Amino acid sequence: MIDLTRIRHMLRRMDWALFCTVGALMVLGVLFIYSATWRGDGIPMSPFYKKQIVWALIGMALFFLMALTDYHLLGENAWWLYATAMVLLVLVLFLGKEVYGAHRWLSFFGVQVQPSELAKLAVIVALAKYLSRPGRDMESPQTTAAALLIMGLPFILILREPDLGTAAVLLPVVILMLYAVGVPLKTLIFLGVLGLLFLPVGWFGLDQYQKKRILVFLDPTTDPLGAGWNKMQSEIAVGSGGLLGKGWLKGTQNVLGFLPRTVAPNDFIYSVVAEETGFVGSMAVLFLYVFVFAGCFRAALAARDAFGRLLCIGVGVMLYVHVMVNIAMTVGLMPITGLPLPLMSYGGSFMVSIMAAMGIVQSVYVRRYRG
Amino acid sequence: MTKQPFSWRLACVLVLILAAFGGLSAKLFWLHLNPNDALRLKIQKTLKFEHKISVGRGSIMDRNGAVMAADIAVRDVKVDPGKLNAGGHVQYVAEQLARMLDLDLALLLNRLQGRTGNYAPIKRFVPADKADEIRALNLPCVHFDEGSLRNYPGGAMMAHVVGFSNLNGEGSGGVEQRYNSWLRGVEGYRISEKDAHKREIFSRRSLDIPPQEGSDLYLTLDSRVQYYVEKALHEAMEEHHAAGAWAIVQRVRTGEILAMASLPDFDLNHFGKVDPEVHRNRAISFNYEPGSTFKVAVIAAALNEGIITQDEVFDCENGTWHYGGRPLRDYHPYGLLSVQDIIKKSSNIGAAKIALKLGEGKLEKYLRDFGVGRFTGIDLPGEEGGLLYSRARWSKISVTRIAMGHEVAVTAMQMLSLISAIANDGFLMRPYVVGTARDCNGRIIYRAEPEVVARPISQETAAQMRRLMARVTEQGGTGSRAALAEYTVAGKTGSAQKPVPGGYSDSAHMASFVGFIPAENPEISIIVVVDEPQPLHTGGVVAAPVFKKIAEPVMRYLASRPAEWHVVGGASVMEASP
Repeated sequence: MIDLTRIRHMLRRMDWALFCTVGALMVLGVLFIYSATWRGDGIPMSPFYKKQIVWALIGMALFFLMALTDYHLLGENAWWLYATAMVLLVLVLFLGKEVYGAHRWLSFFGVQVQPSELAKLAVIVALAKYLSRPGRDMESPQTTAAALLIMGLPFILILREPDLGTAAVLLPVVILMLYAVGVPLKTLIFLGVLGLLFLPVGWFGLDQYQKKRILVFLDPTTDPLGAGWNKMQSEIAVGSGGLLGKGWLKGTQNVLGFLPRTVAPNDFIYSVVAEETGFVGSMAVLFLYVFVFAGCFRAALAARDAFGRLLCIGVGVMLYVHVMVNIAMTVGLMPITGLPLPLMSYGGSFMVSIMAAMGIVQSVYVRRYRG
Repeated sequence: MTKQPFSWRLACVLVLILAAFGGLSAKLFWLHLNPNDALRLKIQKTLKFEHKISVGRGSIMDRNGAVMAADIAVRDVKVDPGKLNAGGHVQYVAEQLARMLDLDLALLLNRLQGRTGNYAPIKRFVPADKADEIRALNLPCVHFDEGSLRNYPGGAMMAHVVGFSNLNGEGSGGVEQRYNSWLRGVEGYRISEKDAHKREIFSRRSLDIPPQEGSDLYLTLDSRVQYYVEKALHEAMEEHHAAGAWAIVQRVRTGEILAMASLPDFDLNHFGKVDPEVHRNRAISFNYEPGSTFKVAVIAAALNEGIITQDEVFDCENGTWHYGGRPLRDYHPYGLLSVQDIIKKSSNIGAAKIALKLGEGKLEKYLRDFGVGRFTGIDLPGEEGGLLYSRARWSKISVTRIAMGHEVAVTAMQMLSLISAIANDGFLMRPYVVGTARDCNGRIIYRAEPEVVARPISQETAAQMRRLMARVTEQGGTGSRAALAEYTVAGKTGSAQKPVPGGYSDSAHMASFVGFIPAENPEISIIVVVDEPQPLHTGGVVAAPVFKKIAEPVMRYLASRPAEWHVVGGASVMEASP
């Protein structure tokens, strides 16, 4: 029996400013996916933007479902969620569809989904559940070790796909969640030093193409037509926007296909935005993301328990890491890792998982006061 | 639970994240407001392209629409040797290409192995279907350029009239050359920008001159008529061991050419494989002394002036007459001959006396009116104008020599035009080979109109001349071998020694016959010239039978098409060509 009065009450308590910001970013995403695939009058376009609208609507539905559901229900089923995500991550290694040499996609009744997106959420929920258990000693190394273990299993599985970018997102999410929950700084610093020591080992674990991308990042002129292409073109695209940009649909770098049409609507959507809306527009979009992040923080501060607070921090950090890495990559501050821009990049799984995560944040915010 | 307040730690996280935000903003600021202009300009330059839009060359059809020249789609096969070597597929690709294109494998390998660069032409003008077969093999680094190749379905048919276009698509002979600008059309020109996939960005076109497709030409020539002409000439070449032979069929009322052939000929599809001399259309470019055929011009002039009548009798001196200190001889000796018989028997002495009676001044005037020594203006390249010296350069005996077709040179086209003028009531028409031109949408952009060049003689003189010339093909006339069963033929034979340095050759002759049918109400005129026939060499024996061989089937053919030729055998006005 659905209690309409209760639902109305909950909706009234939602953070509508945050919701509107999220909605605005989704609309902008569709607009610039349209622009990225637009080729000129009368030339048929890829149907990317239409698909994105469908995904956005599905994401919106999930958002309200999660917002209205008590997040504690999520906590009770945290380990089931985690286990499901792990099973899917194993399955994708064997059954996944191979795209450019990587197994990242599972097909469910014809719909392609990325289990790693679910895994990111599952890790946040499981970690929040684990760390928020009353009486957990945050200074004990065992707690940190266990937390790292929770993250480590999906981390390695995602790395096996291979999807370095998505796996790497888990690190700052977990580190910041641990820090926020009170793990001593020295433990984290110790972990950081350990990580640096293992970095050279990790280098040899990288695939050829991953190494190349990093080398090209360090000196793009070594291969301006190959792996350096995207980076240089992206920087030119951003730079050619100037102060106010060239205008919607007027960007040349993406329209002309210098940003490969396959990546322009996905990982490089921000360079399309930057080219067409200029410095003002790209800063505005960046501010919108900061506002979303701030909304997550606001929910974290208002949360009525540690579990809710950790959920909001996890989601906020995940979102922001994506935003920062994607934009840094676009403007040439980081190697190209293939991480999408939340809410704007073309892609179904990511849209749905981010909207679910935003729903969780709202769920925490709605239930901020007891009673 | 925690040592430090939770919110304090959150604040630290916030600071960390805002620092990242600041970093990104700084980089955005840098990129946007200090853009790398040098790099950007360089890239922008690679976007620009200028492009010529080539168009298909128009086709050439005969008067009934049979295709004589048309473009066919071909591909130029090329490879990227640099990539091919890098990929290590040279051997395989070379083997496949050599097999498909009939190339020498060793040579091909030699050209490709170890080569750098990104362009090596393999073979031009590969038929499109062959290229598609090769494309289906999916050979790496093999590319195709679209092109077109001129194709002449008739081979050597109408070779000298149609002409040919060279490998760059420029007409280099015949109608192909004369009407090159119509056939070629106008190339389009475009300045625009392209994307990374080398596709044009339509919205960025800065200049766009649309191309104009080439126009199609419809000749006045008829393949059927042409076939009869060429067949008869080939047979004559063989029978008389001739060095060459040419013939023209003209419609007398309009001047349009129905057939024109010149042997030796050549296959237009392989125009490069013969001596360029063979490319020459002798029917319009070979000046020769017309011999006796020329007498009709002299007699027509005298009749038109009224200084002689057809029954006036001249003493033909029993075959030898000394004038101006030089002997003048007839082939067969005659005594007294009427003007009628002078034509029929082709007496040199008779013609010379008529010319003397006419006088130098009148003679030159009439000959010039008949178009002797002047271009006919036919729409073909390479025309010669014949040769008629001005009176000031004539010697005392020149009049007598010109009267029998010596000391004067004409082309077959000029001679035929002259005869056609007699057939056409005295009107000298401009000959032409192109009837209509249509643009790529089928709209007629040009229609040839019959054009009167001059009127040397009156209608009455013309009619009289037709009657006199009809006697030539009667029993006892020099041209009896040209006579047809169903039509009266009017004509004149011609036999001339070829000039050689210091005089005339004893062995090399030009045999010709020129005439029109039907004699009373002429439709068509035909000239046949045979160059150096051996051993027989008179026009009556060599050329007149060829005339008949052409005229007989041609008249049957034309009579079978009354819709267009409703006048054959009757009197009426003909339609203009299509």
